[in-house]
Amino acid sequence: MRKLGRLLLLGGITALAGLILAACGSSSSGGGTNGGTATVLQGTAPDYLDPQEEYTTQGAEPTWISYIPLVTYKAENAPAGNQVIPGLATALPQISQDQKTYDLTLRKGLVFSDGTPVKASDFKCTVERMIKVNWGGKSFVTDNVTGATDYDEGKANDISGITTDDASGKITIHLDKPYGAFTNVLAFPEMGLVPCGSPMTGQTTNLPPGVGPYMITDIVPNKSYSVVKNPKFAGLNIPDIPTGHLDRINVKIESNTQTEAQQVLNNQADNFDAGDTVPPSLVPQVQSQASDRFEPVTIPSTFYFFMNVQIPPFNNEIARQAVNVAIDRPALQRLASGFLKPECFFLPEGIVGHPDSACPYGAADGHGDIAKAKQMVQQSGTAGQSVTVWGEQRAPRTQYVEYYADLLNKIGYKATPKLISDTTYFPTIGNAKTAPQTGFADWIQDFPNPADFYLLLDAKSIQPVNNENFGNVNDPFIQQQLAKLENVPSTQLDSVASQWQALDEYVAKKAYVTVYGSEQVPKFMSDRIDFDSAQVHPTYLNIWSTWQLK
Amino acid sequence: MAVDPTAPSPGVPAALEPETPLGSSERQGEGGVGPYKLAVRRLRRNKTALAFGGIFLVIVAMCLCAPLYAKHVAHTTPSANHITDEITVRGKTKDVVSPAGIPTGPTWTGKFLLGADSNGRDVAVRLLYGGRNSLEVGFIATFITCLFATIIALLAGYFRGLTDGILSRSMDLIWAFPVVILGIALGTSLALGGLDLGLFSVSGNSLWIPALIIGFVYVPYMAKPLRGQVLGLREKEFVEAARAQGAGNLRIMSHEILPNIASSVIVFIPLMMANAILLEAALSYLGAGIQPQNPSWGNLIGDGLSLIPSAMHLTLIPGGMLVLAVLGINIFGDGVRDALDPRAEIRIEH
Repeated sequence: MRKLGRLLLLGGITALAGLILAACGSSSSGGGTNGGTATVLQGTAPDYLDPQEEYTTQGAEPTWISYIPLVTYKAENAPAGNQVIPGLATALPQISQDQKTYDLTLRKGLVFSDGTPVKASDFKCTVERMIKVNWGGKSFVTDNVTGATDYDEGKANDISGITTDDASGKITIHLDKPYGAFTNVLAFPEMGLVPCGSPMTGQTTNLPPGVGPYMITDIVPNKSYSVVKNPKFAGLNIPDIPTGHLDRINVKIESNTQTEAQQVLNNQADNFDAGDTVPPSLVPQVQSQASDRFEPVTIPSTFYFFMNVQIPPFNNEIARQAVNVAIDRPALQRLASGFLKPECFFLPEGIVGHPDSACPYGAADGHGDIAKAKQMVQQSGTAGQSVTVWGEQRAPRTQYVEYYADLLNKIGYKATPKLISDTTYFPTIGNAKTAPQTGFADWIQDFPNPADFYLLLDAKSIQPVNNENFGNVNDPFIQQQLAKLENVPSTQLDSVASQWQALDEYVAKKAYVTVYGSEQVPKFMSDRIDFDSAQVHPTYLNIWSTWQLK
Repeated sequence: MAVDPTAPSPGVPAALEPETPLGSSERQGEGGVGPYKLAVRRLRRNKTALAFGGIFLVIVAMCLCAPLYAKHVAHTTPSANHITDEITVRGKTKDVVSPAGIPTGPTWTGKFLLGADSNGRDVAVRLLYGGRNSLEVGFIATFITCLFATIIALLAGYFRGLTDGILSRSMDLIWAFPVVILGIALGTSLALGGLDLGLFSVSGNSLWIPALIIGFVYVPYMAKPLRGQVLGLREKEFVEAARAQGAGNLRIMSHEILPNIASSVIVFIPLMMANAILLEAALSYLGAGIQPQNPSWGNLIGDGLSLIPSAMHLTLIPGGMLVLAVLGINIFGDGVRDALDPRAEIRIEH
């Protein structure tokens, strides 16, 4: 009897211990486990790890989960990932009638990773720090927020257009003029809060604390760094922001994509950099050996050939239409090793206003009609003209341009590719003196807003240098529509979706550009990671806080 | 330290100073056989040099026939893309370029004999056209180098003094830059804007751009040793004799000195040619030479690099052709040097 009692007692203790262990860190709702360490490879080192300085996807992946802004995006795949949600603010901004004042309130009880309480004034300090460290995208703020330019130029000691009240947590932002995408600006990872008193210079290894599920640590510049779980974050109970499963993520820089892909294929590392291209020679092997842990993910981006509408031959609408008739998008998809989704509209899928109508000059996945295009070129009176096709010396962009030049020759032009270094390409074609006739261009969204794409077809973008409207498109209808649509707040975009769609259909019909697709990035992981629960954000790519071990 | 202006420059082979000067009045060697005939006899005995010279000539002939091959055998052009086309090889239909972007390998038939590249272009056709371009650049560059190096060497060595100072220091300046770096710098900038010298303008895509660059950067490599020879020759008795007879500077340079450095120039030609082809390949590989879509062996190698594991033929075939052509002309060049300069003292410094 006593023996039985001891056995029961032992069994009870074992069961209790099992329950405690399970509660401490085993299965989670996603089917994976909590805890553990993953190894991530990045092909390119982040430009910066300082939250107010970084401006690349490699930099955004760690900072986005370590420094949460007042508003942010859902940590999900597209299209849900395009939705702006409250971050450290209690709700999305209240926008005034004249769309020039944004009111937000900070959540109560927030603390930075070092335990310092978060104050409303930290937001103002963060924005000022972002300007002082000279973030590459600071013009999104200086062009819009009242007093930000004066602060940038040293004419003011603070940004007069931002007022805060630490007691109530109220934050008010005044804009010089309405800017519909300003909520998206507030959601930039660079707006992730840091405490007042943080150094006003970019930090390399000693980063300021943030509010987020992870903290960046152990930085060896250009070689490695880690993110570790922030123990204080889960207790903040911020809805819709994952608290993270992994304890630690070690990131190594591996510039050789061949080695990078081989290591993930062989499970020696857990993730291939989504900003890199899987070497074409390895794609068949990856597709066959790792089909359950490899997937191309389409990101909102537009790859296109611009055509200068101010100079021959593409100042002729029929000539531009002929190019759109002739283009063989599946051919370009093959040049991208399959990592391109054929598209014909300027606004990509996933962006409000992307038309669901048929392409005006043949199906997006059609092979083009060379004979018809040749006839159209004849009809336009531009046949035989010389065309210089500009492109970058960078695979597969070089191959796109060589294909395009051959296509133009086939339809009746004398086309020659002009390929220059990728580091000088965009400044060169954006210089009015170059006056490029046609060439390669692409756009990957800064934020999910159609206005971000239409910057490239806006006549206001035409400048003598750093022009981004490479085709010099200056169409009164486009300008009229943009004047109306650009100011619609991001949170109300759905109300004008049909108008954006009509504008995009108009642009496709006028053949101002020849769009051929949206880029796809590789979601490629090791066997150790739960592939299905790992999310890829349409702008910031891998969301490490959604990863868990199987 | 005083410098004897008549002394050959460092590295200049003293053996190049002919023991029997080939003046206008004295062009016959021993036993009534001229030095060039003697050289031809020596060259004929060098079967290895002749065999490799033959290989080089075969390559040149093949490359010259590129348009015929493209039109009548491959039925395409070097720049025609066939990305989404299909081909039938021994009854089986396959993609020229697979959906994953992998081009087909050699078919050993008329179409795509050596396979396709990532744009679905026929590698055999591009190889032959690439050879034409590489050889054309090599020939033009060698001509430019020889022409300018000879003129500069004659002027600097004959007039000495200020002329020599200016020309020699200019050569030193060019020589101070590593050839490839200088080639890349010039190639990149000229490929963008072309070359416009008023009467003479060349577009950035022209083959003349890499030819001019290569020809230009190699001038000092040939001009300096030749200058040394001219410095020695101008002090010889036959030059003094010509001067005493009232011959002017131009006549002395063209009729007395030039014939005596001609054998050295001939020795240099194949060696410069091999170097020019190699430099063209290096520049094109780095994107600073022949511009796409003009093929060249160098840019064909560069294009195939990213596909080495799955389409090795894209790199190996142009690489092999380049090696064979350069080996052919180098070994033939060695034979020419052995024939004209048996003591083998001409060496190109790299």
